[in-house]
Amino acid sequence: MSVIQTPNGYSLDNRGQRVVVDPVTRIEGHMRCEVNVDADNIIRNAVSTGTMWRGLEVILKGRDPRDAWAFVQRICGVCTGTHALTSVRAVEDALKISIPDNANSIRNIMQLSLQIHDHLVHFYHLHALDWVNPVNALKADPKATSALQIATGPNHPKSSPGYFRDVQNRLKKFVESGQLGPFKNGYWTNPAYLLPPEADLMAVTHYLEALDFQKEIMTTRTIFGGKDTHPNWLVGGVPCAINMDGELAAGAPINMERLNYVAGVIDRTIDFVENVYIPDIIAIGSFYKGWLYGGGLSGKSVLAYGDIPDRANDYSPKNLMMPSGAIINGNLKEVLPVDLRDPDQVQEFVPHSWYSYPDEKKGLHPWDGITEPNYKLGAKTIGTSTNIQQLDESAKYSWIKAPRWRGHAMEVGPLARYVVGYAQGHPEIKDQVDKTLAALGVPLEALFSTLGRTAARALEAQWSAHKQKYFFKKLIANIKAGDSSTANTEKFDPRTWPKEVKGVGFTEAPRGALAHWIRIKDTRIDNYQCVVPTTWNGSPRDNEGNIGAFEASLMNTKVERAEEPVEILRTIHSFDPCLACSTH
Amino acid sequence: MTETFYEVMRRQGITRRSFLKYCSLTAASLGLGPSFAPQIAHAMETKPRIPVLWLHGLECTCCSESFIRSAHPLAKDVILSMISLDYDDTIMAAAGQQAEAIIEETIQKYDGNYILACEGNPPLNQEGMSCIIAGKPYLEQLKHAANHCKAIISWGSCASWGCVQAARPNPTQATPIHMVPGLAAKPIIKVPGCPPIAEVMTAVITYILTFEKFPELDRQGRPKMFYSQRIHDKCYRRPHFDAGQFVEAFDDEGARKGYCLYKVGCKGPTTYNACSTVRWNGGLSFPIQAGHPCIGCSEDGFWDKGGFYDRLTDIHGFGVEANADELGGKAALVVGAAAAAHAAVSAVKRARSNGGKE
Amino acid sequence: MSTDSAHPSHREEAVYVYEAPLRLWHWVNAFSIFTLAATGYLIGSPPPSVGGEASASFLFGWIRYLHFAAGYILVIGFLFRIYWAFAGNEHAKQIFLPPLWKRSFWNELLHEVKWYGMVAKEPLKYSGHNPLATLVMHVMFVWGIVFMIVTGLALYGEGTGMGSWQHTYFSSWVIPLFGQSQDVHTWHHLGMWVFICFVIVHIYAAVREDIMSRQSIMSSMFSGWRTFRDGAPPIDKK
Ligand code: HEM
Ligand code: HEM
Ligand code: NFV
Ligand code: SF4
Ligand code: SF4
Ligand code: F3S
Ligand SMILES: [Mg+2]
Repeated sequence: MSVIQTPNGYSLDNRGQRVVVDPVTRIEGHMRCEVNVDADNIIRNAVSTGTMWRGLEVILKGRDPRDAWAFVQRICGVCTGTHALTSVRAVEDALKISIPDNANSIRNIMQLSLQIHDHLVHFYHLHALDWVNPVNALKADPKATSALQIATGPNHPKSSPGYFRDVQNRLKKFVESGQLGPFKNGYWTNPAYLLPPEADLMAVTHYLEALDFQKEIMTTRTIFGGKDTHPNWLVGGVPCAINMDGELAAGAPINMERLNYVAGVIDRTIDFVENVYIPDIIAIGSFYKGWLYGGGLSGKSVLAYGDIPDRANDYSPKNLMMPSGAIINGNLKEVLPVDLRDPDQVQEFVPHSWYSYPDEKKGLHPWDGITEPNYKLGAKTIGTSTNIQQLDESAKYSWIKAPRWRGHAMEVGPLARYVVGYAQGHPEIKDQVDKTLAALGVPLEALFSTLGRTAARALEAQWSAHKQKYFFKKLIANIKAGDSSTANTEKFDPRTWPKEVKGVGFTEAPRGALAHWIRIKDTRIDNYQCVVPTTWNGSPRDNEGNIGAFEASLMNTKVERAEEPVEILRTIHSFDPCLACSTH
Repeated sequence: MTETFYEVMRRQGITRRSFLKYCSLTAASLGLGPSFAPQIAHAMETKPRIPVLWLHGLECTCCSESFIRSAHPLAKDVILSMISLDYDDTIMAAAGQQAEAIIEETIQKYDGNYILACEGNPPLNQEGMSCIIAGKPYLEQLKHAANHCKAIISWGSCASWGCVQAARPNPTQATPIHMVPGLAAKPIIKVPGCPPIAEVMTAVITYILTFEKFPELDRQGRPKMFYSQRIHDKCYRRPHFDAGQFVEAFDDEGARKGYCLYKVGCKGPTTYNACSTVRWNGGLSFPIQAGHPCIGCSEDGFWDKGGFYDRLTDIHGFGVEANADELGGKAALVVGAAAAAHAAVSAVKRARSNGGKE
Repeated sequence: MSTDSAHPSHREEAVYVYEAPLRLWHWVNAFSIFTLAATGYLIGSPPPSVGGEASASFLFGWIRYLHFAAGYILVIGFLFRIYWAFAGNEHAKQIFLPPLWKRSFWNELLHEVKWYGMVAKEPLKYSGHNPLATLVMHVMFVWGIVFMIVTGLALYGEGTGMGSWQHTYFSSWVIPLFGQSQDVHTWHHLGMWVFICFVIVHIYAAVREDIMSRQSIMSSMFSGWRTFRDGAPPIDKK
């Protein structure tokens, strides 16, 4: 039984050489990946494993629902905030609390700043080294890099040959010290790296610039939420009260000075994304456009819940500025509606996950979800339970549950959102995608690839940067119209709550569709279940044997050197995996 | 791969004799007297950037996220010029076995001389396999790296106290670094906070490098320089606290005027951290300035101290969960009622016996 | 002493039990504990906000100040009371040194329990405290006051900061012992309720004994004299 056909159309062959990557680095959290490559170094079987679990869903039981945001925010410090926002929405949904308009605008600005920050840091600091070779940058002629910079990002002020020479010198000194730090043991001689030295130097320079700039993007959240990372949220609105011209406005969370600061950050963010990030994607993409592996489920089954409500308290698709819907079986002509309350739509399975259910042939809708750890390995595992050499994917093999939408394994994330948006004819998304495809001179199919995922993320950062401005203007207009309320505290007191309620909250997290389901009983959390973007993408096989998005994306990729996992990293990274999120 | 300048020269066939000669020439060319030559030689022989292995356990990686937000010094400068971040699986280029090999190389080359930075913590339940690195429990990697390090920095509340995954009922038995069974006895510097302030993190590192010693710690192992005062002691809303001016509900008149958040649960009076002094993100703000009460994120077990919006926090145990006033008020009522009942019975008895006597 | 001629003659036998400094301490102590409980409660649950300029009001500051002042009175009083345990008469030692090692103490204590349980018909008479009272006062008042002082000074030392004597001798070890500052607050606060409970019992017992055991109790804490209405000598008087 060495070749298996999966219901979602993959043929898995585990006969060839098994390649193990553990830890998978440059991701958030802990992950393992095993693949089988055939004689031609083509991946024929893929196994992706979430290798951490903390049990937040167990910990939340019996707690005050108003505190839940702070707990779930600590699911992840990289997508910090999105879980908190999802949580306050779930509680508000359960208790039927509506939030003020200003709170909606502020929350949207915070959520959008997360999209931009997370995407930018992911690209430069987690993903870039899959495409960019810093050692090769030492060979660059700074003049050529300067010319490349001026050609690709003409509005970026830092473009002189001297500037690039300085960076190159610093890099040289660093390399000559012999202490390569994070670049140590990289795959710098692997032929999978395709950039010419001048492009490598430009990208490394922007790696450093982005590291400096990213800390500014999030300061909108420092203003509205008090700190970053892990800013503060509030059931019923936002904690930052507004006082524009009243007594003691200077000590108020939001006043004119604070808003001016936010305005400045929003503008500088737009500049950086448009003059550095987007041009880099086009520049790097143009050298790699022949490497279109990694599409996986993106052209077949994608899912988005939508986010960024234009008007407050309306979470219906038409009011959400980020697209929502599901596409299955590659039918881009039909975008199906998604209902998170429907017990038959979202379900989680555990036959291949380290959890137990009373009946593991069935999936559970999250309102009835169970999180009961059960670490055990299959009979064909090589090694021991505390020293795994090779996993047995026919048994339980991951701390990630397997969520399915109407039984389908789905890809979520920026690319999924852009595919759904494109299929729906979302004008802004269509415009961005078409322009990018034209700039690279590739057909629409090129979108369904590792590179497509990486490009969609950049486009979304750009879109988000402009939407931040939209909501900032909206906030100002609303205050101008005389409304400065930021929180609805009518139902803040638990004594006003019904005995038993349930709710669901959702967002589009940087990595994709995120939802939390809550049951509240006697003012305490009775059950809390999170189904997280990387739970979808990193899912193991389900009861039917369908493989998840990570596994699907690795299939049939050619690797240059089996012992150097550059291609595996490249494709897995294109999802921006977050393992702390996936298992929570 | 990591070599001192001296080792590089030796590798290129230069003898120790000519190395020393090179040092005196350097001293001369810099206008320094010959007495400086041994110092230069010493520095070149012994002073590589200090290697740091930054291990990750059960965590949310927010401490790393916070770290890269440091405004002064910039994270870039810390990583490129101050330390040699040889292992940090969140940002390192290498993966899998090439990544793990670095730990062994560092141990070989810098036994007893590298810093072990711990973010997150190891679980003890599930055979330790609720956090797996390279097919084995994270616990093993941690203990191995700790055996050979010079000192440990416990980043954040996870490494320092256990944090969210160790909150009741701690399903993985996540354990803070200083309580890990069998861990080598090394100095541990706790830098708690969920996450810690970026500039506090980089300041702790810079202090160690600049003054070539570890910062003075308090009894709980935190650097005194940042953790000796409570948020409350330097809070800009403190005058409102003393005046008795409190936010009674979010977005009320007091909230807009920046009144004290004590009554909506502020834990500033019980939380040791530098938020009200150093502030966050380059000194821009801190939770209280944005109108939210401090939740006490740098304190041991802050998740299990009752609601974040309650001033009086819950007491666990005795099979009850109630705050001191609820518990004490009930007890006082019971005692009062018992005394009254006892008085009534006593009075009846006394009346009867008196009746008998008189 | 029992025949102190300065005392007005009584039909009953009278014993001079509580010397003036002890009585003074008792009432100062009671007064400071009432103040501490009232202000302590308000520290936990502050009164509604006052308006106006922050600089014009110091309401909460005063509440806390009163608490700390009463706290110091309690501390100083207690130190004096320890001194008086040595300097005063034998009754002054009683609540500090209950003779737990004596079988008779426990037997008599059992009798006292039966008396309160209304099983025994008559109480034994004591010029000082009865064994039950001694034990309860020892545990609740002596150790209770120690607990409140230690935790109180530990909290106080958090404000005065590292280097202050309160921090050095109290906060530095008390806070980690309890876990963290929040826990010390909670237990200090809970201590208040323990006090309230025992003060209720204490006052009730004093009033009841006065009426039921045919000996002066309440007035003793004013006058110092214990009088026995039916003339039988107390068993602790040889
Ligand atoms: C916060 C309130 C109070 C505290 C902490 C307190 C504490 C004490 C203590 C420690 C003693 C033992 C004296 C000694 O041997 O050193 C005592 C005795 C006594 N207290 Fe209080 N007391 C309080 C309030 C009162 C009140 C309000 C009364 C009167 C109604 C009262 C009446 C007495 C009497 C009569 C004795 C002597 C008891 C005996 O001889 O067995 N106390 N009290
Ligand atoms: C029987 C004696 C005492 C009682 C009943 C008492 C009661 C209380 C109560 C209920 C609180 C509020 C705790 C909270 O919820 O945070 C408190 C706080 C406090 N107490 Fe006491 N206390 C007593 C003795 C002392 C003493 C001897 C001191 C020492 C000076 C002291 C110093 C403090 C301090 C510093 C606070 C914290 C004030 C703040 O956080 O603003 N207390 N006390
Ligand atoms: N997956 C995931 Fe998150 C995101 N984006 C969660 O909702 O990363 Ni940390
Ligand atoms: S201490 Fe808090 S911020 Fe840091 S990793 Fe742990 S949960 Fe995240
Ligand atoms: S807001 Fe919090 S820290 Fe600031 S004065 Fe009030 S209680 Fe203290
Ligand atoms: S919640 Fe944490 S960030 Fe500072 S103000 Fe409180 S310690
Ligand atoms: Mg879940």
